[in-house]
Amino acid sequence: MSSTTPDLRRQPDPRRQPDLRLVALAVAVVVALAVVPFVASTYVVTVVLRMVVLGLFALAFNVVFGAADMPSLGHAALFGVGSYACGLGLVRWGWGIGTVVVAAVAVGTLLGILMGIATLRTQGIYLLLLTLAIAQAVWGLAFQQVRLTGGDNGIAGIDRGLLTLGGDGLVGFYWAALAVVTVAAALLYAFRISIVGTVVEAVGMSPSRLRALGFAVGSYRVTAFAVSGAFSALAGMLMAMATRFVGPENLAWQLSAEVMLFAILGGAASFAGPLVGVVLVAGAEVVVSDWTDRWPTVLGLLYVVTLLFLPDGVVGWLSQWRDGRDDPDRPTRASRVGRSLPPAVEAEP
Amino acid sequence: MLNGLSFGGLLFLLASGLTLTFGMMRTVNLAHGAFYALGGYLALAVIRASGSYLLGLVVAVAVVAVVGVVLERVVLQRVAGRELPQIMITVGIAYVIGDVVLAVWGGRPQTLPRPPGLDGVLNLGSLTFPWFRLGLLVLAVVVYLVLQRSLADTLVGARIRAAVDDDETARAVGIDVGMLFAVTFAAGSGLAAFAGVWGGAFTGLRPGTEWDILLLALIVVVVGGLGSIRGAFVAALLVGLLDEFGKWLFPSFALFTLYAPVAVLLALRPRGLFGREERVA
Repeated sequence: MSSTTPDLRRQPDPRRQPDLRLVALAVAVVVALAVVPFVASTYVVTVVLRMVVLGLFALAFNVVFGAADMPSLGHAALFGVGSYACGLGLVRWGWGIGTVVVAAVAVGTLLGILMGIATLRTQGIYLLLLTLAIAQAVWGLAFQQVRLTGGDNGIAGIDRGLLTLGGDGLVGFYWAALAVVTVAAALLYAFRISIVGTVVEAVGMSPSRLRALGFAVGSYRVTAFAVSGAFSALAGMLMAMATRFVGPENLAWQLSAEVMLFAILGGAASFAGPLVGVVLVAGAEVVVSDWTDRWPTVLGLLYVVTLLFLPDGVVGWLSQWRDGRDDPDRPTRASRVGRSLPPAVEAEP
Repeated sequence: MLNGLSFGGLLFLLASGLTLTFGMMRTVNLAHGAFYALGGYLALAVIRASGSYLLGLVVAVAVVAVVGVVLERVVLQRVAGRELPQIMITVGIAYVIGDVVLAVWGGRPQTLPRPPGLDGVLNLGSLTFPWFRLGLLVLAVVVYLVLQRSLADTLVGARIRAAVDDDETARAVGIDVGMLFAVTFAAGSGLAAFAGVWGGAFTGLRPGTEWDILLLALIVVVVGGLGSIRGAFVAALLVGLLDEFGKWLFPSFALFTLYAPVAVLLALRPRGLFGREERVA
């Protein structure tokens, strides 16, 4: 063994180091969010609470979408089973809050694993359609098992006072939800920069290359779905408590499309991008609904404009603008959504 | 059984347009269900105003075909060959159309009149069968044969297949691919509206129809295999029967028995029943 060979394992990998600026920014944002109830009205707290919960969903979704590059259109199912675990557990079966958290995460993980395994042979548009079909099957169950789920009427009267950090009902739950989401987001970030998370991202970039290097590509894809499912279900559980209600709309595929919009509009290539998307879309909904009933039209136009003019998202656009587009030595963050989806079935190696 | 088959006929009608645009052209149009609803509502408005069923049908198909062409030329051209942007953009378009329909026609469920001459029922001994459903099934077979033959045997059909298979070579031999795709997209959108006029008499129109119909059409096209009109036809009848028997045997699992087999099929055989081998460029 030659002494001049560099020991590659000792090379620090920037992908595996925490981005300190991001961490500092995150701390500042969390502190700012924590003081919101002191300075803003109950209405504002409700709006911000929704953004915080959807933010966790968007971060969880992006493990599959942005990192592993799998365009899932079935994530509403992963979110919704968390909501239903919460509604059924608390209202129908009288579980404690601890049991509900464990059950929600477990169900989300299991459904994530199922989705990951089912989609192993698919890519691109076929993966999208398959995840959609699975999610619709789950939605159909929730919609039609009326005796258990209440069908279209859903389950109301979920007690959010069970998860609280002091204060009255809403504010106490807001702080608790913020704490849960902060910890969950930190865990997701730790996963993103872990060895497994780095491989997941590499699998997203080039599955064939990773396979050639000897990685079990399939198991990393399933892992991405499992992690994503666990945290999506956690977000779904928080949403059920935040609205004190769960219905089939928590599983509707429009929600799957919307979380994809969050990720793309914010910037799917970066970790925090989807959060920007959540703030923009959920914020726009509040503002627009103030002066017109035609929010669906605005939302529709937002889909069109985002995909036509901001395929890299706000964060991608900002970093391109900062780095300068014309520097040929610096690869711009190629837009994942901009490129053509691969064929249905990857050629056998 | 015949109910299932006639529902299958409707399914084929609404999926046939999607087979052309999604299956053949590989342009994913998730506004297909919105085109269906728009066609249905437009026809209803014209029929009420003029009293002529035929005029309503023609206006609905023509207007929606124009809307489809504008969408394809102005927006979808910019993301040609890139499926994810197409999906998200057409979801957005569907939101806009659905919302406009809601604003203009309101949220009350509506039912279109049946085509004149198909009002009664056919009596076969102890069995009765509405002429309308029988007509739907016949219509589906006719549309199927026309589409199949025109793609297989006519010059335009050959050119479309050429353009789909190899866009650059087709251009090089002088085929106006842009024009051809516009025509195909117009046909696909028009078929959606045509199905909407018939389906509006079958299942009615209400807010949310655009999404329900889209999902059904997607199932048919995907189960049949992208680009296969024969596949879509077989799949439409299969799904129609599956839906009918599912409702009958497991009423509280009907939606599940519709989607779960589709998911299993896609997981095991992503190309669908009659899908072509994917061409790797």
